[in-house]
Amino acid sequence: MKHFDPNAGNEATFGFQIAPMIDVVFVIMLFFMVMAGAVKVERELPSKLPGIAETAGPSESPDEMVITITESGEVSLNDEPIDSPTSKDLPALRATLTRLKRASDAAKTPTLVTIVSEPQAKYGRTVDVLDALAVSQIENVSFTVPDEED
Amino acid sequence: MAGGGGGGSGEPEFQIAPMIDVLLVLLIFFMSITSAEVLKVDRQVTLPVAPDALQKDSSRSEAIVNVRWDPAHKKATYVLDDRIYPQLPDLTKALAVAKKTGETKVAKGPNPTFRCVIRGDRDASAASVSSAMNCAAEAGISDIAFSAQNHE
Repeated sequence: MKHFDPNAGNEATFGFQIAPMIDVVFVIMLFFMVMAGAVKVERELPSKLPGIAETAGPSESPDEMVITITESGEVSLNDEPIDSPTSKDLPALRATLTRLKRASDAAKTPTLVTIVSEPQAKYGRTVDVLDALAVSQIENVSFTVPDEED
Repeated sequence: MAGGGGGGSGEPEFQIAPMIDVLLVLLIFFMSITSAEVLKVDRQVTLPVAPDALQKDSSRSEAIVNVRWDPAHKKATYVLDDRIYPQLPDLTKALAVAKKTGETKVAKGPNPTFRCVIRGDRDASAASVSSAMNCAAEAGISDIAFSAQNHE
């Protein structure tokens, strides 16, 4: 059986060792595989600013809903408080919006949602509401903040 | 050329070279997906979480406004293309210029409108984000998107 002898003189050559290389590649790959699960992906919540609508044909009156967000994080749908101020998922709002969206689709009327947030309310809370609207597949969403003097 | 079967008589041989090829391809794949998104992030903005938000449409021409938040002074700072805009009228002018230059790209691309992406800090006030929206409106941009991240 042949052994590698490092003291065998000038004839010995250090060959390319494949096994340690595979070990290292495996470790690096495992690291990136684990990191891939934790990577934060940026997503988007689209919105349209209110503008001048083209009125060439007869227009249908939309089902309009107003969602109010207070500084304390309380969310109201058409002046009715819904979910707790600490709830991030807003399950009741999601369920109600999904039901209303289905009803609007059945009646073939567009759904329009306006989010009115108090000026000092946290923007993160607005995104919670926008996320609930994304789940309900409501696309006509506008976001407004009343002036602080009002 | 050596085949995978190793001939009719012996055992199938383990081929090390194709295995290294596959390993390297997997390694490059995982490296690219972990680093691609990190490059664009403004570290001073902590995005809110919206797990059900849509995937980002990167094919469109857009201006990205970062809304940083200073909790000590309760003050927002607006950043567009790595430049800080302390005055909102200046941001409006910069957005108008970005729209003008962006629309030349839009004309060539598949999506018709130029848009403004607002990357607001989760602790920022709604009024500060609304101010950024007002600037976009004054610059003639009506298509707005809010950025969020998929998880904490």
